[in-house]
Amino acid sequence: MTHYIFFSGKGGVGKTTMAAATAIHHAHSGKKTLIVTTDPASNLADVFEQAIGHRIAAIRGVPNLHAMEIDPDAATKEYKERLIGPYRGVMPEDVIASLEENLSGPCTTEMASFDRFIDFMEGDEHDVIVFDTAPTGHTIRLLELPVDWSRHIEQSAKGSGQTCLGPVQTIQDSKEKYDRATALLRDPDRTTFVFVMRPEALSLYETMRARKELETIGIRSGLTVINGILPQEACDVRFFWRKFEAQQRVIADTETTIGTPIRRMFLRDGEVKGTTGLASVAAELYDGVRAAPTPAAPACEPEQAAPTAPDLESLLFPVPGKGTRALFFTGKGGVGKTTVSCVVAVHLADRGYKTLIVTTDPAAHLGEVFGVPVGSEPARIAENLSAVMIDQQQAFAQYKERVLSESRGTCSAEMLAAMEEELNSPCTEEMAAFDKFIRFIEGHEYDVVVFDTAPTGHTLRLLDLPFDYARQVEMMVSSDENAAVKQETGNRFREIIALLRDPERAVFSLVLYPESTPIMESWRALLDLKHAGIETQLIVANLVLPESACSNSFFRNRRRMQLKYLKELDEKFAPPVLRFPLMAEEIRGLDLLRKATAALRPERIPSEKRS
Amino acid sequence: MKIEIYDPAMCCSSGLCGPAIDPLLVRVNDAVLALKRQGVEVERYNLAQQTKLFMENKAVADLLHTNGKKALPVTFVNGAVFRTGAYPSYEELCAALGITPQASPAVLPSA
Repeated sequence: MTHYIFFSGKGGVGKTTMAAATAIHHAHSGKKTLIVTTDPASNLADVFEQAIGHRIAAIRGVPNLHAMEIDPDAATKEYKERLIGPYRGVMPEDVIASLEENLSGPCTTEMASFDRFIDFMEGDEHDVIVFDTAPTGHTIRLLELPVDWSRHIEQSAKGSGQTCLGPVQTIQDSKEKYDRATALLRDPDRTTFVFVMRPEALSLYETMRARKELETIGIRSGLTVINGILPQEACDVRFFWRKFEAQQRVIADTETTIGTPIRRMFLRDGEVKGTTGLASVAAELYDGVRAAPTPAAPACEPEQAAPTAPDLESLLFPVPGKGTRALFFTGKGGVGKTTVSCVVAVHLADRGYKTLIVTTDPAAHLGEVFGVPVGSEPARIAENLSAVMIDQQQAFAQYKERVLSESRGTCSAEMLAAMEEELNSPCTEEMAAFDKFIRFIEGHEYDVVVFDTAPTGHTLRLLDLPFDYARQVEMMVSSDENAAVKQETGNRFREIIALLRDPERAVFSLVLYPESTPIMESWRALLDLKHAGIETQLIVANLVLPESACSNSFFRNRRRMQLKYLKELDEKFAPPVLRFPLMAEEIRGLDLLRKATAALRPERIPSEKRS
Repeated sequence: MKIEIYDPAMCCSSGLCGPAIDPLLVRVNDAVLALKRQGVEVERYNLAQQTKLFMENKAVADLLHTNGKKALPVTFVNGAVFRTGAYPSYEELCAALGITPQASPAVLPSA
């Protein structure tokens, strides 16, 4: 029987590398192994150094190992074709077109990806299937879907017979499929959940949260991997000794708070790439064999200033007469988006701008950074500064209540019940969160709204919603009765799109750290944004090693690698690059955030001021 | 007594799945509920979900081939085409069926 291994954890913790190494480990031990990614911003191909794509591909040089990237776009296309294909040539063209358009909504994408993912849990051609799943928040939603959907289907069967998934009769099969999938997820003999985390307090907190969320739907995690542990022998400088000690404290905390077995992975002085690199990670992870250090780099290279230093005032400050400015920080989770956006928000507030920081990340931790509780209503953090977290569940409840309250008094009780039932769909949930998110820009209450956005793939889908919505609105059946609603909604979405595309009103920044995989992912994100008519205006290179800290060969090697990539960034990317130094300690609380704003004032080079 | 409605491609029948609530679809849904209460058999088919049925019904298939998607929605009263390209009102449907329209369905007071 196939064993399923799911890798969970915030993006950027090294999940893909750990999942790929695990797949190699099982393939080497003679098991027929498949590794599948459901992450829209997958980097499986980068790790294996070969094209994979939306089909099962053999991994060169590793017998027994196959891989596949579920591309949400391709999955949607396949799903649509399965529904529409039989009618091509039979139905008039405009009818086919209307069918296609109807299936271009956000519901279809979600449904299609999920359907594809479940398909892998039906067959038994493989001994082991490793899922390199999407980042935590997204993962949880994905896993919660079977629960929600079967509940949704059950309720619909009692009522109108219509659901977002299709008519009830035709999805009874699917319901059984979803129930089988959930049962498998809950069976510890068939399924193992592995959490990957970094030895940082925030990462431990997120892991605990995610584990708890899984437990509430009856899923227990089986293994925790702590990745990126500083080797003690490399930490002979005070700067890194402090980091080493902080990590060891978190590791000790992890051991006491998490009961499952814990495996440790040490930080390496170079990048892990290709099947040989992965095999050495597998050896360390499963057999405790440490990798040999790479030859020492020569003396620490001096940092060259970026040729195009960003004009941060014109990029971050509101433009007079242009209303609220929206700053978006996007990038794979774990690159320090939350920290960077908090530092920017504090900087703007200190300069006298009324600032709101918003997170749409389901695994948000704004409250952890500010040291004050942050909820779904803007909370005051400091002079001119407020913070808010969009809680999808709550946004959904509020949206539902608003819709229903508008109809109370004009509709029958039966109608209200039918409406409520239709509203209980995963698609409405996503819509509700988007609605709330955009209202903070529309409100004109703040000079600047900083969005600590969800990880790349999710963000892009979120931002894609207004485009989908505008199309859907076009499709509404016209009549005098709905003309006003149609026009109003259409205008609103057109205005949102115009805003997102106006560089003076919206600024898109990509946050990354100077290594191969994050740079490649950012490049794809930049192209995706461009495709949506949005020019990325700023790149933030985070976690840059300060020169003063790299006194031994381990960090000289790492810094040499970073400088190579910083140069590549300057050469290949059009937007200016802001270098954000690695901080000696995790940035928690207003005082440390204020200290960190030095990185936004180019007259000082903060990395050189540290002891 | 039977009403059949062949709807255009929609996410769901009540018009609530889209980005905004379509009052027209809410009204249609309310009419359907009222007719069912009066013992009328009502079936709705959605082009996006029951595409096959649109091809199997000769009248609907012919209308689609002649007029394209503009033909939708198509409403049948007791098996005969009653209206194409627009939804009939509750009162019109009652008249076609020869039943008396109920006073507007029990309206709940605003919360």
